[in-house]
Amino acid sequence: MKKLQAIVLLACCAGFVGCSVDDEFEGPSLNDIYGSFSVMQPLDISNRQVDFSQNETTYLTAVFSKNIAWKVQVKGLNSGGIKEISGFSNYLDVDNTLWNGTVSRLPMMRAELCAVELTFENEPDTLRDTLEVTAGRVNQGLLLSDFENGFPDDWVPFVQSGGNMTFIVQTGANAAQGNKYYDMGGNVDWDWLKGMFDIPASAYGSETFALSSNPGAVYFNTMLYKPTDISNALVLFQFREDDNQDGVYNSTNEDMFSIEVSPDEDGWSLLSVKYEDLVTLVNGAASVDIGNGIREPHKLMQVSVLFLANPNSGYTQSYLDYMIFTENSPLIP
Amino acid sequence: MNQIRTILLWATLGALQTVHAQTAPKKITFTGAARSYFFGDKWDQETTVPDTVTIPRLHSGHVLADLGMHIRPNPNMEIAGMVRVRNDYGGFWGSGVSFDVRQLMVKGVIGGVVRYQLGDINYRMTKFTMWNPDQELMATAPTIFRQQFDVLNYDHFYDQENSWRQQGGAAEWGLVFNRWIKELQFHAVATRNKASNNSNVNDRLFAGGNVQLVQSKWLQLGVNYVNLFDVSGTSRNQTLFHNPVLTGTADFNWTHPKFTFHSDVEWGNSKTTLKNDSEAPGKEGNFVEANASITQPAKGWKLFGSVSKVSVGFNSPGAQTKRIDFSGQPEAFQRVGNEQSLRPYSVLDIMRESAFYNLQLQPYLMEFAPKYDNITPYGAATPNRQGFAIGAAWHNASKTFHAQLQQTMSQETKGEGTLEAREFQRTEANIQYESNPAKTDIRKWAIQANWRMDQTNRSGTEYYRGVDLATSVGSLGMEFEIFKKLDVLVGWQYIAYQGFDFTAVRNDYAEIFNFIEYDVDGKEIITAGGLRYRFGERAFLSAQVNLFDIQDQKQAANDYKVRQLMILYQINF
Repeated sequence: MKKLQAIVLLACCAGFVGCSVDDEFEGPSLNDIYGSFSVMQPLDISNRQVDFSQNETTYLTAVFSKNIAWKVQVKGLNSGGIKEISGFSNYLDVDNTLWNGTVSRLPMMRAELCAVELTFENEPDTLRDTLEVTAGRVNQGLLLSDFENGFPDDWVPFVQSGGNMTFIVQTGANAAQGNKYYDMGGNVDWDWLKGMFDIPASAYGSETFALSSNPGAVYFNTMLYKPTDISNALVLFQFREDDNQDGVYNSTNEDMFSIEVSPDEDGWSLLSVKYEDLVTLVNGAASVDIGNGIREPHKLMQVSVLFLANPNSGYTQSYLDYMIFTENSPLIP
Repeated sequence: MNQIRTILLWATLGALQTVHAQTAPKKITFTGAARSYFFGDKWDQETTVPDTVTIPRLHSGHVLADLGMHIRPNPNMEIAGMVRVRNDYGGFWGSGVSFDVRQLMVKGVIGGVVRYQLGDINYRMTKFTMWNPDQELMATAPTIFRQQFDVLNYDHFYDQENSWRQQGGAAEWGLVFNRWIKELQFHAVATRNKASNNSNVNDRLFAGGNVQLVQSKWLQLGVNYVNLFDVSGTSRNQTLFHNPVLTGTADFNWTHPKFTFHSDVEWGNSKTTLKNDSEAPGKEGNFVEANASITQPAKGWKLFGSVSKVSVGFNSPGAQTKRIDFSGQPEAFQRVGNEQSLRPYSVLDIMRESAFYNLQLQPYLMEFAPKYDNITPYGAATPNRQGFAIGAAWHNASKTFHAQLQQTMSQETKGEGTLEAREFQRTEANIQYESNPAKTDIRKWAIQANWRMDQTNRSGTEYYRGVDLATSVGSLGMEFEIFKKLDVLVGWQYIAYQGFDFTAVRNDYAEIFNFIEYDVDGKEIITAGGLRYRFGERAFLSAQVNLFDIQDQKQAANDYKVRQLMILYQINF
């Protein structure tokens, strides 16, 4: 009988000894679902005067009583540019709120004061603070122009003699980057073309643009603005290649790739296109390639920007800013 | 090796063949069953506004015959087929008649060595690899209620020792040794669990094998492997489910002049993957279970205990698939009240509603009913459980009286929504007496009583409620033979549940992404009485009246009563 008791005792002990519980749990935290929300550690900003041009960064810190869906919005008080960061956690720190100066909505950040706002899902609390950007980001790439120094001298413009023609560099807080942008507008009731300009590679000191030969790594980026109530604008970008590298573009046997866009959202939007995705267009429709059919960014000798609209559609307008070629990734403004 | 003389032999088969040779079995035999089943139900619900929509009386039933034929073209082959002809009561002129193939199977022996079976097969392995655990509340049901459970189990092929009915093939063979090892047995199975739709659903197969080493009557060792998996290329769907389970088993027996000791242990792991689905989480789990018992045959005592741990990630479709699909809806009185709202299921539905029952192995955990069983909803292989059980049983010398008491204490291996684990307690007691069936000169009578109490607990915080869910299941059944072969049957079953828990809501990958508050306070009582006439061992006619009463303290609108008349004629041949 003693043996029997020992066996039962051993079995019980084995049961108790084996009963360890994981130090993690399954599913969402009940505390997060049912717990009350409060800010345990107030909102703070690691770097309140940040110079993004020097690759400085900043981040927010705070601690909450439970995991919660939160959203941080940083708004440039001069540009109106917005950076949004969201997450689900019970804290803010360098891992989840690091900001390197990019924006979620154009315009790009510039030297300005920014309002910081932290909100929470299903909670009325809103925490506010400010920080100062002493300089905006400097993007890597071949910058064609940001119009901060006016219309480049070596570019070749053409403007129809229609009504209310602008085609000038404007100065204003609503530039996509910096303080200036190119305003294209007018009414030409006999032609689709309102105005255009050519950007020869020679304006940058060489016969072709200094780009990689890999079309999958080269991106053309620019920012376009659509004014409210104007929806007839078309912007055609043409990329002429010197296929035979004789220093001259021949329209009968050398490639001209294009992209045509119609800004459809009010305000600024970013256009980024991979060079290998460019196509040959004839009257807006895809067509057979003119030259060797190979996308060769290192042979690109001229970029042209044509501002178009249906001649029967009346006045049209769009802004253009910050044209830049980047490599390996599209522009992150 | 020369000293070990191996003989290819399947022992059972060999014996069987010997018997066949001596008795010269018939080349064709007929088997089957016939049944007449009738329900007359009356709905009764007290409402503040008279219910003018619900039809208060329902009559349903059917008569069916399962006609089976076994053809033995030669001593090593048997072909079995069974068709079911069913006619619903009221289905005149063939309008309610259905004609189904219930079973089609070929079995035999290859070369006197390998026994095989093809077609519709019933298969089981271990409780953690392939096992069909009993449905809720069946174990404690008295005989008068078991009649309805038995019909369901027969119709769904559950009546063959916790096996799953599958379609495929199985084979087994063995090696017999004359030294060190007594026998080495090999079993293999492959079945088609789900058929491709030639579009986006892949063929899903269940395959496995078992190697059993019988060292002696004292020691057996085994290795088991099963896998539920999708077959690549059988549809356009590139996502492939894959769930192998590998286990080992060991059985020990020891006999003393006064005691016999038995112990078995099984351990293993599982891995669940969805190939080509980058969002699917990898899931791995393991388990171990050890059972031990000591018996004193002379005095009828038995003490037993077990310890087990099944991790939260252990996924074994062959062992965790439930018989009852609690996402189903009852057919009888499905919508009730003036608003014709869906009626929640009850134990009455579990006892008789075929629509609740499942025949297919499911890749992930199915829904369960915490109010009926919150501790072992998926049988022994219920994941996220660890603990132990101890118990004692006794029977008298004539084995007419049996009593058993068992206590289970367990908890989760990993908390749900909190680091704190739920704790579970189960107390079970049952006694039964049956007049000695060997004595034909006395009238048959039997009585059985069962009681089960389940408790789930977990403390709460100021923000969320603690878990405190209690379930009590009691039953009492009696049988009296008042005249020769005519029995009076009486039964009572009581289920009460009260308390609160959180039930997990899982996504397509069986991950918990939310919790639903589960708050119950109710009881279900069935009282039944009836007569049964036994035509013989394999045929009976039973008529019974069930009074079912459900009371929901949380929602009085769910209170109702059902008066059920059931007539069952059953014959097996």
